[in-house]
Amino acid sequence: MKGLRALALAAVLAVTAVVVPQSTVQPTDVSLVKIRHAQGVAVGGSDVVWILAIGSDARPGQDMRRARGDALQLVGINTRTGSATAIGVPRDSWVSIPGHGREKINAALYFAGPQGMAGAMRNLIGIEPDYVMVTRFPFFEDMVDDIGGITVTNPRRFSDPNLKKEGFAKGRIHLDGYNSMAFSRIRYGLAGGDFDRSANQQRTLRGIHARIRSQASRPGFIERGVMTVLEHMATNASPAELFELAQAVAQVDPRKITTCVVRGRIGFVGAASVVFPDVAQARRLGREARTDAALRHC
Amino acid sequence: MPRRCAGLALAVVLALTGTACTSGSDPSASPERISRNDAQASLAAHPPVPTTARIHRVHGRLPDARRKAVRLQVGKVVDRWWDAAYLGGTYPRSSFPSAFPGFTAGAEKRARSDKALLTNQTRGPHIDSVSATRKVVSLDILATGKQARTVTAHVVLRFDSSGDRAATTTVRGRLFLIRKRGAWRIFGYDVAKGSK
Repeated sequence: MKGLRALALAAVLAVTAVVVPQSTVQPTDVSLVKIRHAQGVAVGGSDVVWILAIGSDARPGQDMRRARGDALQLVGINTRTGSATAIGVPRDSWVSIPGHGREKINAALYFAGPQGMAGAMRNLIGIEPDYVMVTRFPFFEDMVDDIGGITVTNPRRFSDPNLKKEGFAKGRIHLDGYNSMAFSRIRYGLAGGDFDRSANQQRTLRGIHARIRSQASRPGFIERGVMTVLEHMATNASPAELFELAQAVAQVDPRKITTCVVRGRIGFVGAASVVFPDVAQARRLGREARTDAALRHC
Repeated sequence: MPRRCAGLALAVVLALTGTACTSGSDPSASPERISRNDAQASLAAHPPVPTTARIHRVHGRLPDARRKAVRLQVGKVVDRWWDAAYLGGTYPRSSFPSAFPGFTAGAEKRARSDKALLTNQTRGPHIDSVSATRKVVSLDILATGKQARTVTAHVVLRFDSSGDRAATTTVRGRLFLIRKRGAWRIFGYDVAKGSK
């Protein structure tokens, strides 16, 4: 909303600067000009584009496309309406991985690469992503730093003895790259465990979106962003497609963003603690958002 | 960080070496001087304002010849839209059936629902003529593999219209372009229009 106001204000000031005469002799010549504004982006052939964003826990030197997928968000963008949605999946969800039987969903990346993870998400939610983007946490930190950090709304105070001893305060907080990573990764101390962590990842995505939207009109901002994504991500999107997606993201209306995390119950398979996802809910979310990237309720 | 310093230095160099050009009338062809009295002079049409197209910054590496080609090609794409949507044709008129040359099919579909802003449709029936007073295009180019992949065109068009609803109108904003089927196409826009 703040970004929208800033954008509107900037547009008014910019155009007014052009059409209002410089002279101060006749103040009646100076008038507030009615400014109207239009924006639109068309990406590919359909209104909605789906992106699977994966945070890989690859260690240094390890191929991030063949490690465990720690953060999993299926993001839909409707370029016609300006709405967007994110469906988060807990990393320990016990699911069917095409060609590999049942496993924790985070192993799909390790066993079958980005395509395998896309297949596992399709099995669970019913949506095949158009693009898969994989990054590792240090790269993610760099990308957030490159856009100047983000602001998130944190619903509760929490901390982690390893990643963030002093913890994150409740309320609106500004995060740099490292803290964005920690905010998105910490499960310790969250009452809802993996589910709350996935919701925090969605708060981080909202923060990234707000930052992109507020800066998009700065000459070169989107181009620099695409370059940094090319540098830090493995993706099946071309530079031109990334540019299209970035412009589509910039035009998403923050009031039209909806997010849900796939529910489930904690259980065990052998000695391993897993999440048995609520497949019916996951499919319902997929059906609801597939054509318009909007969720009515979780 | 060294990488960012190098990027900044490169950007500064690119910005400093970026050149501007004008399209439209050939600047080397000086107009023929004719003898005329003051009355004739006041009736003469204003010379067309050329479009000034310049490169703001290239992100990535792009040889000079290709920079120039992008500048000229994108300048023409923007010019075609301005001519079709605001400056060309005869006035008064209310119909702008082919206002979006150079737009992708999807972007044209979006733009048709924004015709009030992206064309001169609202004022068109009430004016007799338009004449451009400022046409500027500034480009941010993204290049990989020494090829231009995307362009953001920051555009400013200002024109005067005469007639019942005479005004000075400014169209300002950004156009987003990619190369499709061998040509630059506008796939998105973020444009504001105001009149005084």
